[in-house]
Amino acid sequence: MATISDIFVVTTIVFSCFEITAYGALFSSLHQTLILNSSTSQGQVLQAGEEQVTITWSLNKNYPTGTDSNYKIVKVKLCYAPMSQLDRGWRKSNDNLNKDKTCQFNVVTKPYKPSNNNFTWTIEKDVPSASYFIRAYVYDYVGEVVAFGQTTDSHKKTNLFQITAITGRHVAINVCAACFSAFSVISLIGFYLVEKRKGKSLRR
Amino acid sequence: MENMDLESKSVHRDFVLPVDSEDKATKFRVYSVSAPHMRAFHLSWISFFACFVSTFAAPPLVPIIRDNLDLTATDIGNAGIAAVSGAVFGRIAMGIACDLFGSRLASSALILLTAPAVFLTSIANSAVSFLLVRFFTGFSLATFVSTQFWMSSMFSAKVVGTANGIAGGWGNLGGGATQLIMPLVFSLIHKIGATPFTAWRIAFFIPALFQALSAYAVFFFGQDMPDGDYAKLHKSGEKHKDNISDVLYHAVTNYRGWILALTYGYCFGVELTVDNIIAQYFFDRFNVNLHTAGIIAASFGLANLFSRPGGGTLSDIMAKRFGMRGRLWALWIMQTLGGLLCVLLGKVESLSGSIAVMLVFSVFCQAACGLTFGVVPFVSRRSLGIISGMTGGGGNIGAVLTQVIFFRGTRYSTETGITYMGIMIICCTLPIMFIYFPQWGGMFYGPSSKGLTEEDYYMKEWSLKEKENGFHQSSMKFAGNSTSERGKKVESAPTPIDGTPNT
Repeated sequence: MATISDIFVVTTIVFSCFEITAYGALFSSLHQTLILNSSTSQGQVLQAGEEQVTITWSLNKNYPTGTDSNYKIVKVKLCYAPMSQLDRGWRKSNDNLNKDKTCQFNVVTKPYKPSNNNFTWTIEKDVPSASYFIRAYVYDYVGEVVAFGQTTDSHKKTNLFQITAITGRHVAINVCAACFSAFSVISLIGFYLVEKRKGKSLRR
Repeated sequence: MENMDLESKSVHRDFVLPVDSEDKATKFRVYSVSAPHMRAFHLSWISFFACFVSTFAAPPLVPIIRDNLDLTATDIGNAGIAAVSGAVFGRIAMGIACDLFGSRLASSALILLTAPAVFLTSIANSAVSFLLVRFFTGFSLATFVSTQFWMSSMFSAKVVGTANGIAGGWGNLGGGATQLIMPLVFSLIHKIGATPFTAWRIAFFIPALFQALSAYAVFFFGQDMPDGDYAKLHKSGEKHKDNISDVLYHAVTNYRGWILALTYGYCFGVELTVDNIIAQYFFDRFNVNLHTAGIIAASFGLANLFSRPGGGTLSDIMAKRFGMRGRLWALWIMQTLGGLLCVLLGKVESLSGSIAVMLVFSVFCQAACGLTFGVVPFVSRRSLGIISGMTGGGGNIGAVLTQVIFFRGTRYSTETGITYMGIMIICCTLPIMFIYFPQWGGMFYGPSSKGLTEEDYYMKEWSLKEKENGFHQSSMKFAGNSTSERGKKVESAPTPIDGTPNT
């Protein structure tokens, strides 16, 4: 019966998903050891798909030497500012990094170097219109998050920039949608007239 | 031409299926496409399926659309409510249209008029435009009424529950199928090279075209009644062209229609609500990913393949043995059990338990929908369309009410909302106890001791003048054919009909 095999399939998928939602590192336990800078200024508006952001990062020298001994990889991400998370549960921040949805776009992944890091990113076409900041997570040899850096302050209020998304609309789509819609209505009127004529001929 | 002698009036065609005196089929053969009965069945469920696919095409793609159009959770919630609220009035209007113009013209017209809303979804660019296209697309769910009306016109009392249940169930399937179809179409178009924000727009052309094509099929291949279309039957005098105010009056003054409208709001309305909220529920409470949540959501709707038809068939089986009283008892029991399962669903803490309870709940909830439309065809003959429309509209009102009270904003957590929804189901199903047919009885009382017959009940809808003009003939035939609702204990009573059924 469809129900039983349904339960089977779904339960199998579900149990395999359980591993993903296991306990993860807490953001509040990370040290902000990277200094991150971006080419954007406060309130700047950029167009997705066209404009670029240049990001530079380096280790904060104020930390004792040896802090970065286990740093292996840096992942730079585009993150939502609090005002773009309002009334949008799918962008919610969570201290548990496995459940955190603040940073959903990957900018670049690079091996760790204490200085001389930069990257110019062309904003991808699937980035929505919102306010953003940039954050980089540092991973160790085992793949665990150990540190981070970000372009904004701890309250995520300063140095935010805007991105305007592409509309996704094309002239071809507009024309097709309009034509098919018009055709539907016109054919309906045509049917109505045919039916009326049939009615008249029956009366004769 | 006003000669009402049945023998000379219509040319009795040879039908593939066995028919009764109204030329309605007495058997239901799902693998056949014979005209006009089974062809009408397949046309109606396919076109209704297309409308369901279109109406619920947005939810599985919302993760992409919400980023493209910058929607908030409130915007999405409002659009979901808009999608089911248009059909409230649409269904009542469709009921009237079916009574006056016949299902073929009414449904193909509605489907073609709402197809532009689906095409134009691909050029939506804001929360407002998104809400508007979902609102207008939702009107297409009024085809439910034409589906049920068409089945009630084509199939006799013995199999009408089954026909209505399967047509309704397989149509409702669209709500589940779309959760699988749309993501598939989207990823296909995305793979071919379109960016996500363009791919979802192109994807909407698929349900739109499917919907438009199904309307053409209904128009060209469909037929209102076994003996022909309304226009032809009106001209030949076989079918009297009724006037709208009388039809409306007899629908509105029949309390049974109102009770069924309320109870349908708590099986079908609940089903629509769950369609809108269940993916998000599993996603948020159990942290499954969106794809998995979509599969779970789809399986709720896909149960319609057998559960709603099962309800319709159960109604017919109960009627065989216990008559109308059996239909009413079965409806009350199944829907109340659905309510209890809904209460349980909100309380279950584990994922696998929730999925299991949800699936069993879906079966009872959808079976109750099928059982409701085992009763609806008998409430009124003259105003069948409007009664169907009122019941259908009541279903959508239930969906709107339930979502507004329990699933909007942060007043209740979703699981609390689900439990309260279950309690509301149980309470709003109790009025079935008040439905009473003088000729057949109700849940707690047998048929009237005055010996009222089916004829008495259905003839109450016609005035003396109308009877003198012979407008009541089709109702008379129906009355005769519905004596099976007395159940097996009673010998078949003498019927006023003299036409012999074709075999």
